[in-house]
Amino acid sequence: MNHWLIPGLVALVAALFAASLLIGPAAIGVGESLAALIRGEGEAVVLVMREIRLPRALLGVMVGASLGLAGAALQGFLRNPLAEPGLIGTSASAALGAVLALQTGFAAGFALALPAAALTGAVISVVLILLLAGPRGSSLVLILAGIAISALAGALISLVLNLSPNPFAANEIVFWMMGSLTDRSMDHVRAAAPFMLAGAAALWLTRRGLDAMTLGEDAAASMGIALTRLRLLLVIGTAALVGAATAVAGAIGFVGLVVPHILRPWVGAQPSRLLPASALGGAAMLLAADIAVRLIAPERDLKLGVLTAIVGAPLFLHLIWKTRRAGL
Amino acid sequence: MTLLSVENLTVSRAGQPVVGGIDLTVQPGEFVGLLGPNGAGKTTLLRAALGLLPFTGRSSLAALPGRERARAAAFLPQSREIAWPLSVEALVALGRVPYPGAARGLSGADREAVDRAISRMGLETFRHRPTTELSGGEQARALIARVLAQEAPLLLADEPTAGLDPAAQIATMRVFAAHAAAGGAVVASLHDLGLAVRHCTRLVLLDGGRLVADGAPAEVLTPGNLARTFGIRAHFAETGDGPVFQPLDML
Repeated sequence: MNHWLIPGLVALVAALFAASLLIGPAAIGVGESLAALIRGEGEAVVLVMREIRLPRALLGVMVGASLGLAGAALQGFLRNPLAEPGLIGTSASAALGAVLALQTGFAAGFALALPAAALTGAVISVVLILLLAGPRGSSLVLILAGIAISALAGALISLVLNLSPNPFAANEIVFWMMGSLTDRSMDHVRAAAPFMLAGAAALWLTRRGLDAMTLGEDAAASMGIALTRLRLLLVIGTAALVGAATAVAGAIGFVGLVVPHILRPWVGAQPSRLLPASALGGAAMLLAADIAVRLIAPERDLKLGVLTAIVGAPLFLHLIWKTRRAGL
Repeated sequence: MTLLSVENLTVSRAGQPVVGGIDLTVQPGEFVGLLGPNGAGKTTLLRAALGLLPFTGRSSLAALPGRERARAAAFLPQSREIAWPLSVEALVALGRVPYPGAARGLSGADREAVDRAISRMGLETFRHRPTTELSGGEQARALIARVLAQEAPLLLADEPTAGLDPAAQIATMRVFAAHAAAGGAVVASLHDLGLAVRHCTRLVLLDGGRLVADGAPAEVLTPGNLARTFGIRAHFAETGDGPVFQPLDML
């Protein structure tokens, strides 16, 4: 609808990406930073820029885009603005998979073990949600199913912590669960990228089907949309994106809820147009949140997932309030 | 050229046939009114004929691959679901989903089809309004326009006139009749027998999942059929203003 939306969001993401590269505890000038990043001038600065800030900014874009895209696709498919990877238990299930992998040592087994474990957890939760709430399920059933899955995954994570042999491991898992982009390396970028690309590709193929689903399943099927294929692409795509995002950044909630909600009016509410917009919007939101975390409390290591929840939860309450007034 | 051919179509639920042994062929030019009391199997028959339900028997539409079927027949479901506040134009443009390229924006032919559908349903003034802000009747018209924009020769409509005001009901029936007269065909399930009699070229009467009568309005809505399937008696007369049908009382 609005031709400036996508270019505007691209510019916003680019600006925030640059800001993310330039802001940090090490006071480095703009010129010096860029020289180090691009030409490799200055040994210590190169290390900071290429090994610390670049992966952090890249992961901000990747994780944010993944969460925004997954949220928009889930909402389009379930025809419910309350659907969100965090709320329906996908993030918690992915975290459970990752925690189990960390705890059992499976994660150290091979390079992609951690994302693969998180992805498995995410797949299980998305399949469970589709079985329990179904594409025709009401908001109520969807939220209840989400609560049940989140609670179960949370309880199992607690059990792992409970049985954890040493308090340091438990502590590490707890902090990891809160979601953060601090101290990530290019290895994390390399581990997450293939899953995220595959997930994004799968969801990209659903856009025509998601548009048709606006009119319900029967209408979509009568317009030649293969619903089984659509459902499969959606499960694989969402799980790959959320699983990979959770594996590298921990559980970061509400991005997939807030971003599509804000951008929907800008794309004429069309689910297909919402996908790229939400991916960019998610990247912008996560980069902004990650910069805010560094600016608000540089000494305290404020966790990213904590901040997104503090911002996102009131918006979620506002959405429920609106849904209630609409008489649903 | 037959637009729909259904042979011995049977749909079972929990071992019980809800629609049994239906034979039906629809030719170009026909506007078929699908009649029957609640639960007679009208919706089930339409959905099964499209292949949206598992069934036994044969349906020429269900045998086609998805996109080809979407170009052969458009379906207006009974539930008037619109999940997102799309503009009327964007909603009608969903009818172009079965045509390649729709994802990359609409082609010239797509735009023409959308414009035609919007003007046939008299929706020009609502074109850019979000559908969720329209009245129920206006939403129903926008959804019918979506079906027309699909430009399939056969239209299957499940209670297209329910909830419309009298003028919109007549306008809708005329749009369908014109579609049939132009060489297409329409099968519409209807509860308003008066409308069916005045606009349909052929009526098909279902009762308890069986096809009990099929033919011209006067052959189908006989006092005997009305009593057996609907449990009513009615006044049915040919007048200077065309056929008039008015239910009078329950039996």
